[in-house]
Amino acid sequence: MTSQTTFYFSQFAGRKFFDSTGEVLGKISDFLIDVRAWTLESHEPQRPRVIAISVKQGKELKFFEFQNFGIRKYKGKLRLICQELKELNTANLQNCIWLKENILDKQIVDLEGRKLVRVNDIRLVMIPSGTYALAVDVGIEGLLRRLGVLTPISTFFESFGVDLPSRMILWDDIEAVDFSNSSIKLSKAQSKLHTLHPSDLADIIEDLDKASRAYVFSTLDEEKAADVLEELEPEVQAHIVESLPVGKVADVLEKMPADEVADIMDELGVKKAEELLNEMEDDSSREVRELLEYADKVVGSIMSTDYMTFSPDLTVEETFKALREEKPEPSYIYSIFVVDKKDKLISSISLGELAISDPALTLGRIMKRNPVTVFDDDDIDSLAEIVSKYNLLAVPVINRSQEMEGVVVIEDIVEDLLDKRKTK
Amino acid sequence: MAAINFRRSWWKRFLVFLAILGPGIITGSVDNDAGGITTYSVAGATYGYQLIWTLIPAFIVLIVIQEMNARMGIVTGKGLADLIRENAGVKVTFFIFVGLLIADIGNTTTEFAGVAGSMEIFGITKYLSVPLAAFMVWILVVKGSYTIAERIFLIFSVSLLVYIVSALLGKPQWSEIGHSITHPGMDMNTKSIAMVIGVIGTTIAPWMQFYMQSAVIEKGLKIKDYGYTLLDIVIGCIATVVVAFFIIIACASTLHVKGIAINEAKDAALALEPLAGKLAQSLFAFGLFIASIFSATILPIATAFYVCEAFGFEAGIDKKWKEAPEFYFLYTLIIILAVIIILMPNAPLIGISIWSQVLNGMLLPVVLICMMLLVNNKKIMGEHVNKPLNNFIGWTAVVVLIALSLMLLVFPLFT
Repeated sequence: MTSQTTFYFSQFAGRKFFDSTGEVLGKISDFLIDVRAWTLESHEPQRPRVIAISVKQGKELKFFEFQNFGIRKYKGKLRLICQELKELNTANLQNCIWLKENILDKQIVDLEGRKLVRVNDIRLVMIPSGTYALAVDVGIEGLLRRLGVLTPISTFFESFGVDLPSRMILWDDIEAVDFSNSSIKLSKAQSKLHTLHPSDLADIIEDLDKASRAYVFSTLDEEKAADVLEELEPEVQAHIVESLPVGKVADVLEKMPADEVADIMDELGVKKAEELLNEMEDDSSREVRELLEYADKVVGSIMSTDYMTFSPDLTVEETFKALREEKPEPSYIYSIFVVDKKDKLISSISLGELAISDPALTLGRIMKRNPVTVFDDDDIDSLAEIVSKYNLLAVPVINRSQEMEGVVVIEDIVEDLLDKRKTK
Repeated sequence: MAAINFRRSWWKRFLVFLAILGPGIITGSVDNDAGGITTYSVAGATYGYQLIWTLIPAFIVLIVIQEMNARMGIVTGKGLADLIRENAGVKVTFFIFVGLLIADIGNTTTEFAGVAGSMEIFGITKYLSVPLAAFMVWILVVKGSYTIAERIFLIFSVSLLVYIVSALLGKPQWSEIGHSITHPGMDMNTKSIAMVIGVIGTTIAPWMQFYMQSAVIEKGLKIKDYGYTLLDIVIGCIATVVVAFFIIIACASTLHVKGIAINEAKDAALALEPLAGKLAQSLFAFGLFIASIFSATILPIATAFYVCEAFGFEAGIDKKWKEAPEFYFLYTLIIILAVIIILMPNAPLIGISIWSQVLNGMLLPVVLICMMLLVNNKKIMGEHVNKPLNNFIGWTAVVVLIALSLMLLVFPLFT
C-alpha cells in the first residue's frame, strides 16, 4: 500500500464500499470534515481532516468514524475498504461540515479571486496520519470527471497538444457559505470571510441567495458588518435588516453614518424602521430621524452629519492634535469647518491647506471667509457642478439661518450621479 | 416622538409597484413570440374558431407554473438553474441544459425568422433586416443597458394589442366564438390533436420558467410583495391569452372562411390584405416584428445566463467581457448561429421551428418534475411548500403536459 493516495470525492460518492475480504458493506453517501484545523494560527497550511463518513446500508443512513477506512487499488480503480465499522458519536459534532451537503455543487467564496464559484469536485489526500481535503475543483475538468467523460475528452484534446484548463482552489482560499440545506452552522471565529475588503464582501453577498446572505452577515463583527452593510445595494440592505434580529441590526446601524442609515430606513417599511430607531441609542436615532425629514431631492437627504468643527482661536498644531485624538474616518475630514460661538459657519479649510500651513498660526489667520456652501433644501443636482467648479472634496451644508447642518462629501455625490445614470 | 416623514412619496411607491409588475408581464409577452404567433395563426386559419377553448386550460397551467417559479425565487433567492444543479446533481443538470441550449438556438432562429418575415412585408430584404436586428440586439446587451431595453419592451408589449384591431377589422362572428368556448370540442385526428398540443405547448416553453424565476430575484422581491407578484403574473397570463385569442380570431374570421391554408405567420399577414385591408396587414406584421425582436433580445441572454449559472461560470450583463468570458461567448454564439441559419438560402425554417418545439416538449416534463420536487422540498421552501391544491393542479398539469408532449412525439410517427 502506498503511504499517500490522492483522490477526488466524485470517485467515491455514490459508490459501494467493502470490507477487507471484498464483501460489499454499503453505499458511500457523504464525508464529514472537521474544519477547526484550518483556522488555527499556524504557519503550516492546515487541512481539514475527514472524521466521518455517512453511508447507506439498505435504506438506512448510518454514520461511521473514518479512521478505520483505507483505500486500495482494485482493477485500476480506487476502492474504499473498512477494517472495522465503528459508529460515530453524533453528539459532539461542532465545526464540522459535510462535503456533499455543504460544498459539492454549491457556491463557495473564492477568497483569492474575491467571488463566488461553484464546486464541481473536491480533491483529498490519504496519508498515514489521516485523510484531508486539499482543494476544490471549480474547472471544466471537474465537470467532465463528474459526467464520467474526462478521460476520453482529455485524451482527444491531448492528441492536438491542448491541455484542458484545470482550476483548483486550495482549501485555505475558500469559505463555505451555503448551509441552507442543513442545520450546521460555523462559529464566528471559524469564518475566513472577514479577511475580505468590505466592498468585495458586499459584492459577494449581493450574489448570494437569501439564507446564505443572512448567514454570512451574521458571522461578521459589528464594525465589519457596518462597513459591509453600507456598501450593499438598497434592496439587499433591506433584506438583510429584515432577516436578522432587531437588537443585532440596531447595534450595527449605530456604527454607520447617519445618512446611510436614513437611506436604509427609506427602504424599510414604517413599522420596521420605527422599531429599529427605538432600539438604537438616542444620539444615533435622533440624527437619523432628522435626516429622514428631508425630501428626496434636496441636499439634506444625502448629507452626512459626521464632520468636525473648530473654533478660529485654535492653532493648526492644536487642530491636528485634536484630529489625532479623535481618529475620525478619512471621509469625515476632507475639510474641517470653522464656526463661531453661535455655531455659524465662518470658513471651510481643506486638510491639504491645513497640512501646508504654519503649525503655530491660528485657524482664524489661515482661513478664507465666505466659504462655498449649499443650503440643506437646495436641489441635489446642483452639487456636482459646485464641487467640480471649486475643486472641493466636501461641501458644508447650512440651513437658512446660516447654522451648519452637515456636509456632503464627494463619494455621496458620485454615488448619486451613478444611481441617476442607472435609472435613466 | 417625532413622526417619521418618509421621503418616499406616493409616486415613488407607484414606481415600486411598477417595478414589481414586470417579471410576469414580460414573461407573458415573450410568450407570444414568433413561434407562438405562427402557431396561433395556423390554428385560426386551419380550424377557425373551433380550438379557441384550448386557451383556457393553457391559461390555468401557465398561472400555476409561473406562480411556483415566483414563489421559489422569492423564498430562496436562488435561480431555478442553481436549485436544479444543487439538488439534482451534475448529470441531470447536464442533460437539461445542453437540451435547453440546443432548443433555444432553434427558438432564437425562429425569432429571427419572425423579424425577417415581418420586414419582408414592409419590403425589406432579410439580408438587411436580420443582420441589422441581430447587431442591435447584441450591442444593446453588451454595450448598453439591459434595464432600459427591458422598459422599452414593456411599453412595446402593449403594442401587441394591435392584434385586437387587426382581428376586429376582419369582422369576427362573436356568436360562433362564444359557442366554441362553451362547447369545447375538436376533430379526433392526428393533425387536430397536434394543433391543440402546439397551442398549449407554445404557451409554456421550458426556458420561460428559468427566466421568470431569475427576473423575480433580479427585482429583489420579498415575500411581502407576493400579492403584487401574483397580480403581475395574472396580468401577464391574461395578456398572453388575450393576444393569442385575437390572433386566432384574426385568422379564423378571414383566412379560414376563405379556405386559405398557411404555414407561417408571414403568410397570415400577406393573406390578410385582400380580406381585411392594408391596415390589418400592416398591424399584423408590426406585431410580429415587435414580438420577434423582443424575444430575440431576451431568449439568447436568458439562455446564456442560466447555462452559466448551472455550470458555475460567471454570468450577468453587469460583468465585463473579461470577467465572464463564457457568458458572453455563449450569448454571441447563439445569436450568430441563429443569424447564419436564417440567412442560408433554402434554410429549412419550418423544420427548425417544429424540431425546437419538439425538443421543448421533451424538456418541459423534466423541468416541471424538477420544479415540483423542489417546490415541495421543506429544506428549500420551509413553510412555503406547495399547498395540497397547488400540488393537485401542479401535478395534473405535469401529467397532462407530459401526455401531450408524448403525443406530440409519437403522432408524427404514424402520419
